[in-house]
Amino acid sequence: MKYKFIGILIALTMFATGCGKSGKSKDGLTIGVAFETLQTEYWVAGFDAIRTDLEKRGYTMLQAISNGDPNRQLDQVKNFITRKVDGIILVPKDAKSCLPIIKAANEANIPIVLFNRPADKSDAHSVAVVADNFTLTRETVSYLIDQAKKTGNKLQAAILIGDLGDINAVKRRDGFDAAIQGHEDLIDVVARIPTEWNQEKAQAGVVNALQANPDIGFIFTSSDFLLPSIVSALKSAGKYHKIGEPGHVLLGGFDGDATAWKMLKDGYLDATGVQDVYFEAAQSVQAILDLRAGKTVPDLILDPGFVIHQGNLDEKSKQMWGAQMAAKK
Amino acid sequence: MTQLLRRVLLSDYFVLGLSLLYVAAVAPFTPGFVSAENFTNILSALLPLLVVALGQTIVLITGGIDLSVTAVIGLSSIVGAMAMNHETGWLAQSPIAAPAGVMIMLLVGASVGALNGIAVAIARMPAFMVTLASMMGFSGLAVWLTHAKTINALPSGFTMLGGHTMITLAIVLVVGICVHVFLRRSLWGRWLYAVGHNSRASHISGVPVGGITFFAYVASGLLAAMASVLYTGQTETGSPVLGQNILLDVIGATVIGGTSLFGGKGKVVWTLFGVLFLKLVDNSLNLLNLSIFAITIAKGAVILLAAYLDSLRNRFVAA
Amino acid sequence: MNAALQFEGIDKSFGNVPVLRDVSFTVGAGRTLGLVGENGAGKSTLMNILGGNLRSDAGKMVLEDRPYEPAHPKDASRAGVAFIHQELNLFTNLSIAENLFVTGLPRTAGFLINRHSLHQRAAKLLEQVGLDLRPETKVENLSLGERQLVEIARALSFDARLIIFDEPTTSLSVRETEVLFSLMARLHDRGISMIYISHILEHVRRRCDDIVILRDGQVVGEGEAIEFSTARLVSLMVGREMNQLYPTRKKAAASTPALEVERVNEPGIVRDISFTLHHGEVLGIAGLMGAGRSELARILFGLDRYSSGEIRANGKPLIRSGPRQRIKHGMAFLTEDRRHEGLCLDASIADNLMLVALRDYTRSPLRLVQSGRCRQSIDRLREEVLLSPRAHDKQPAKTLSGGNQQKVVLAKWLLARPSVLILDEPTRGVDVGAKFELYRIILELADAGTAVLVISSEIEELTGICDRILVMSQGKVHAELNRDKFDRERLLAAALPREART
Repeated sequence: MKYKFIGILIALTMFATGCGKSGKSKDGLTIGVAFETLQTEYWVAGFDAIRTDLEKRGYTMLQAISNGDPNRQLDQVKNFITRKVDGIILVPKDAKSCLPIIKAANEANIPIVLFNRPADKSDAHSVAVVADNFTLTRETVSYLIDQAKKTGNKLQAAILIGDLGDINAVKRRDGFDAAIQGHEDLIDVVARIPTEWNQEKAQAGVVNALQANPDIGFIFTSSDFLLPSIVSALKSAGKYHKIGEPGHVLLGGFDGDATAWKMLKDGYLDATGVQDVYFEAAQSVQAILDLRAGKTVPDLILDPGFVIHQGNLDEKSKQMWGAQMAAKK
Repeated sequence: MTQLLRRVLLSDYFVLGLSLLYVAAVAPFTPGFVSAENFTNILSALLPLLVVALGQTIVLITGGIDLSVTAVIGLSSIVGAMAMNHETGWLAQSPIAAPAGVMIMLLVGASVGALNGIAVAIARMPAFMVTLASMMGFSGLAVWLTHAKTINALPSGFTMLGGHTMITLAIVLVVGICVHVFLRRSLWGRWLYAVGHNSRASHISGVPVGGITFFAYVASGLLAAMASVLYTGQTETGSPVLGQNILLDVIGATVIGGTSLFGGKGKVVWTLFGVLFLKLVDNSLNLLNLSIFAITIAKGAVILLAAYLDSLRNRFVAA
Repeated sequence: MNAALQFEGIDKSFGNVPVLRDVSFTVGAGRTLGLVGENGAGKSTLMNILGGNLRSDAGKMVLEDRPYEPAHPKDASRAGVAFIHQELNLFTNLSIAENLFVTGLPRTAGFLINRHSLHQRAAKLLEQVGLDLRPETKVENLSLGERQLVEIARALSFDARLIIFDEPTTSLSVRETEVLFSLMARLHDRGISMIYISHILEHVRRRCDDIVILRDGQVVGEGEAIEFSTARLVSLMVGREMNQLYPTRKKAAASTPALEVERVNEPGIVRDISFTLHHGEVLGIAGLMGAGRSELARILFGLDRYSSGEIRANGKPLIRSGPRQRIKHGMAFLTEDRRHEGLCLDASIADNLMLVALRDYTRSPLRLVQSGRCRQSIDRLREEVLLSPRAHDKQPAKTLSGGNQQKVVLAKWLLARPSVLILDEPTRGVDVGAKFELYRIILELADAGTAVLVISSEIEELTGICDRILVMSQGKVHAELNRDKFDRERLLAAALPREART
């Protein structure tokens, strides 16, 4: 009996090493796109943007979603390599577990670009396209400070901070601090709310902050997906008012999702820093082409993004992924 | 005709045949499916899953079920990584970091298994509830330990166990043969089947039913931890949520192989073929560029089909 | 004599094996016909043809002067033929009423079940079978005898005029059997024809008007019940003269005690039980159901607790509970519930045979099983108990007949070479031929010095094989009789509960 077992495993390996290689028939390039998740709007928008970009260029897209499982993602990327893709765009689970994936692509000599989530430093080589979180946050917060000046009052402020294990969250916090610096006479930061990217924690944090400091008149969130938590906390404190109405709390965010778009349009949200998903998608594909052509490409490509606010709403809405998502619904 | 059908359905190699048929059927449409690289890919994806599934086979033979294997994989991955990593680990830079880390991981698996075993065998609680609760508890504990963070910088002596396909193959071969000999030839292995067939009759016949049941859960925890060593090596990262999506694959593959959910039936080769079949389906659907949702639906359908074949086989045995 | 049902020249083969050959007989209208034969004689095949589960190869059936060709079990019930099976076909999680009308629940407005009329009709049927229970009672709360009455009520619900009873008393207590027989008498008076299949020949002779004996697929005897003695029925069934029903002992019991029981008590179960079982002795325990016989056996084997008293095996007191320690002390226990406690039904014959003694067939340090030695022992055991040679070692135990299953259970204990063997209803559900083989094995074991304790509801069996009989009633031993004092009346009298005896 045990010989059967060995025999079968041996046969399987022999089969595996003895088979011929298969060719590829497409003329255009084939790009493998592996996402860790499609469970938030932002990733869906990114996925669609990449698909559209590839279609425009007449390329073939292979897709793989790993539902948060890095081992599965490794299998999927190996499958891409088997199918001899010309480049890989990857959204990893985290900065560390993707390193063997990048190494596998390096070994197969296939360019790999990380979309919106960079990997940790290592000997594995990849290019990452990410939003310029620091600058974009600073600009967004500066716009809010300008609005605050107009009120002429000194405002108490709160910031919702993301998971500090995520480099994007750190950069956004730093951008906020940089914008505030020099305006301490106008803005007094009374609450720094850790959310760990969790909506319940965010809501509890805002409720507590509003209880401790009922005069808070300025809130910035490190991601738009926490906006619903802020709105519900403000509503229960009776402080949710439109821009221009007495008692309006200045609100700013980051990402530019559909909720943010709706709040902008309805006149509740002052500004948000929009990650330019379409720009990032185009840059990712371009980076693969450049790498294939042997050009030098920087390890980090920054998406400057843009601040959308009540003043440029119509002009910028076409570039805002959240607005496009809202229109599709 | 029915004689032939009967022999085919009841053969040990039924699922292997099904796998080969499947390969023949989808190969023409699936670019890159039949290729050396791809079979190596399938092999490296199959090996760790096989190890968990062997543990599940042992528990299913006794008529129980172990839903906590995914929590064991996550918990031992993160505890092992906490112990071994170069930066903050208790064993950092130690020459025995890798073997000691593996021992710690196996210990974690065996301990979770022992708790399940005590609850099922001694407190006589239903296995489904016990292991469901321990799945929730221990996966929660794993996430809590590092606040959901992953840990890398693991010793290379450790990561190669799962990262190098040939080494993994050798390990799994040894594990597979041990489990096989245990089940077919050893006293406790034979008792495992007896307990699964009829625990009352076994008790009266002097079989230590409680001890056997306890042991089955410890073995399952141990093998899940072994799989965690391989999975963690593959991604070179300790993660508390490692393996949290593979429960369907583990139980599905085991049942596809022919191990009965009602106890008393199960073999190492059956589970090997079940895992092979499931991974072939998974891999080919991936290569066909189907979305994850379509793959999950297809896998569900395959497992349902296997359950149907299983009932068909039972009917043939009864006839 | 008017005919309710005629079989005319029925032939049936499975593959090349003829199972029924030219079977012809008549069930008289309003009469009860006993159908007897060993397992494999063709009774079930014939009944399956009658019930529409199988088609005969040749011959025909005539039901009340009309040709009867059921293609499906539904045709049989539509024609007024009902089966009361050994394995009852009730849904235990439903109520009596729901079970009675499970195929045609009375409805209102098309799909809603009309509970009121359901219960009224059910109550009427329950009255007819003499069952004093509310129709909404769940079947799981009923005893086996009561469940059988529900099955009969179901047969009456579709106006059955021919009812077939297949081993109806196998799982019934003496009292429940009496209830069943009086109901059968009432059905008889109402002119309902019946076929009664049983291994208990005394019951067949007592309950039936006519008897048909099948052997190897052929009718080997038929006539009125009064023409047959039990001995003659047996010899017709087995096909050879059985001048002696029970084998004779070759050796007398020794005087060394094998099992000593002293003042064993467990409130509500057994009271003050004391007896000594000697090597080479066959000791019977008689009594009605619920007298505490099986409970005593379970206590002796360490399966249940007892609050006081002492049990010694071969002189050594048994302190810890659990069957493992009992087995170490040379005890063995064949339980009354073969399907749930005796066999692993889905496991192979070989695995079942090795279950008790497997520990002794391993090699250290890995405790690997020595398959060669196992195979030798299995072959020897199969010869010892005359297991059907057609059965393959790897075949699941559930495919065996009742008699062969019981031989497997007995054989697995014999492999451990017990010095004290406890047998609880060893011949229940076993056909006549296998019964005598079991008796022979038991008595040979006793001749070789094994102490045997036999619990049985069949008084003939106990008087046939025992050296001594204890009679239990209400948890106490009420009488002890030596072989020369065996007397059916005295045994029965001692078995009756106190209040009933006066």
